[in-house]
Amino acid sequence: MKLLITVIIYALFIAYLLGAVLYFIGNKSGKKQALSTASLMVKIGLVLNIAALIVRTMIAGRLPLANSGEFTLWFTVVTVALYLYYEAKAKMREAGGAVMLISALLVGSIIVLMKGQLGEATPLMPALKSPWLTIHVLTAAVAYACFALAAGLAIMQLAKAETKITDEIIHRIVAGGFVMLSLTIVFGAVWAEQAWGSYWSWDPKETWALITWIIYALYLHLHRRLGWKGKTASKMVIAGFVLVLFTFFGVNYLLSGLHSYA
Amino acid sequence: MEILKKVYRYLSSMKTGLVLLVLVGSAAAVGSAFLPDVFFNTWLFKLLLIILSVNMVLCTANRFILLKSRLKKNRNKWFREIGNLLLHAGIVFILAGLLVYAFYGQNGQIAIRTGDTVDVSQIIALKEPFSLRLDDFKVEYNEDGSPSQYNSYVTVLESGITKDDAVISVNHPLNYRGVKFYQQSYGYLIKTKYTNDTGSEVEELIKEGNFIKPEGTERTVKVFRYIPNFDPNHGMVTKTMRPDNPRIIFSVYEDKQLIGVGAAQFDERVEIDENVYVVFPAVEPYTILKVKSDPGLPLAFWGGGMFMIGVTMALLAAPSQGKKTESIDSNREMR
Ligand code: HEM
Repeated sequence: MKLLITVIIYALFIAYLLGAVLYFIGNKSGKKQALSTASLMVKIGLVLNIAALIVRTMIAGRLPLANSGEFTLWFTVVTVALYLYYEAKAKMREAGGAVMLISALLVGSIIVLMKGQLGEATPLMPALKSPWLTIHVLTAAVAYACFALAAGLAIMQLAKAETKITDEIIHRIVAGGFVMLSLTIVFGAVWAEQAWGSYWSWDPKETWALITWIIYALYLHLHRRLGWKGKTASKMVIAGFVLVLFTFFGVNYLLSGLHSYA
Repeated sequence: MEILKKVYRYLSSMKTGLVLLVLVGSAAAVGSAFLPDVFFNTWLFKLLLIILSVNMVLCTANRFILLKSRLKKNRNKWFREIGNLLLHAGIVFILAGLLVYAFYGQNGQIAIRTGDTVDVSQIIALKEPFSLRLDDFKVEYNEDGSPSQYNSYVTVLESGITKDDAVISVNHPLNYRGVKFYQQSYGYLIKTKYTNDTGSEVEELIKEGNFIKPEGTERTVKVFRYIPNFDPNHGMVTKTMRPDNPRIIFSVYEDKQLIGVGAAQFDERVEIDENVYVVFPAVEPYTILKVKSDPGLPLAFWGGGMFMIGVTMALLAAPSQGKKTESIDSNREMR
């Protein structure tokens, strides 16, 4: 089992990375062949990602919702699923390279930073035994995935002179992510109230989630009310995702707090 | 009058709100990185939150007043309008809840030993006082020896009469008439048997790290720590929390000089000096509960609910801005 999950994670990393490279090549050269192979790689990756979650569930003997390795698997599985949905719906493959590179790097972070987390059977500590954990983590995964997808689109929109990626689509995805992040924060507060007896304690993870939420709230207001569109708006979406990554990695590895086990 | 109007306009504008949000965000970032333990309690930060609340109250109230005429103008947008209103009002409720807690909330901590009763009104002010008795404290373990749950079995008493009983565990607080009790921590007192300076044999409960002075010797003994699962390879730290190999770590001093350290089993007779013995028959756990009364909690709770529903209505369920909504954007009220 331990070997199995290691193999799956490496294969997953390669599938996503290959997908990214093929998307970049295909978009640059306009070769349809490369682009459809890229899509295929991503679909294989998605299956591997789901397999990783199933194997992890078997190893842990519980739903994999607790440590950062487990969360990263949810993060990428939703990002990639959303991306594939977007690709099918918008019939555009322009953002594939950026989104898959982000996903590959996230899986890479499991290999580099979270070694051994997925191979060991680690029971939940008492504070994590709550139905609110499930809903808090799953909404967070969807929120982060939306922001990753939006950032991927925004990067490609900035990088290319001519693009079919519109502000409208980026705005919609950010709006979806914002709703999910709002739910994540409220569910997290409800849970913190039950587990620790205070719903908001300015612990670093809470604080940085709030900061992330604020930047997207600004984006939504500026986008609609002041008509900030195009490059400035896209830069904000990318900055927002940098904050997402800091809330996830930076807080876990640089600042300490209640959440530091996750 | 003009000035007042201007101040009001400024305070209630959305632009000011956005500027305040940027300020709160930057302050929180700096605070969490450099002064995590104090910054969020400073007046500067609280003032910022209060100004933000005032701004949002005014802004939301204005939107509420204008709601009817806005709805007349754009019938197709009522869903989003209601959502927006709920979302902003929800945030205001949450901030109000926090404010009420800041003024009227109380919290404290109680440590109770099995069998003991604690008067809760000694910890926080209560209109109708009541007491809490700990009947039992049990830790459950996973297969690997890590704790899976801490349970405090308690009875609520009013003037000696039993009113309620409950099990308080992590994630399952007890709520008794608005006072909440949370399982926070626990510890052990170490039962220690020795002959004291009056010559009689006593059995005392010693707090970890405290000293005893047995009769018949100049030496003192520090009852250092209880280790549930002792393993020499782990040193002074327990291998797991489960009591698989319980030991009491103690040290012996003479003239303030450390002369020896030991790891005693329960009931083991430890010779401290010639014919002077100390025995540790058992340990007794005590529970540590957090006690809190927060009259602002219902406000925050309803605010959270309104906020979640509002955010979903305004952003997810509403159609995206298509051609139809252009007209609304052209009459933005950028007050
Ligand atoms: C504290 C965090 C805040 C959040 C999360 C938030 C969130 C939102 C959201 C999601 C929208 C809908 C945007 C859209 O329809 O695209 C919105 C709209 C709006 N917000 Fe806020 N807001 C916040 C603070 C404020 C403040 C402080 C004000 C001003 C006092 C304000 C005033 C407005 C106004 C006027 C709209 C109108 C949008 C419309 O007409 O469609 N908001 N806000």
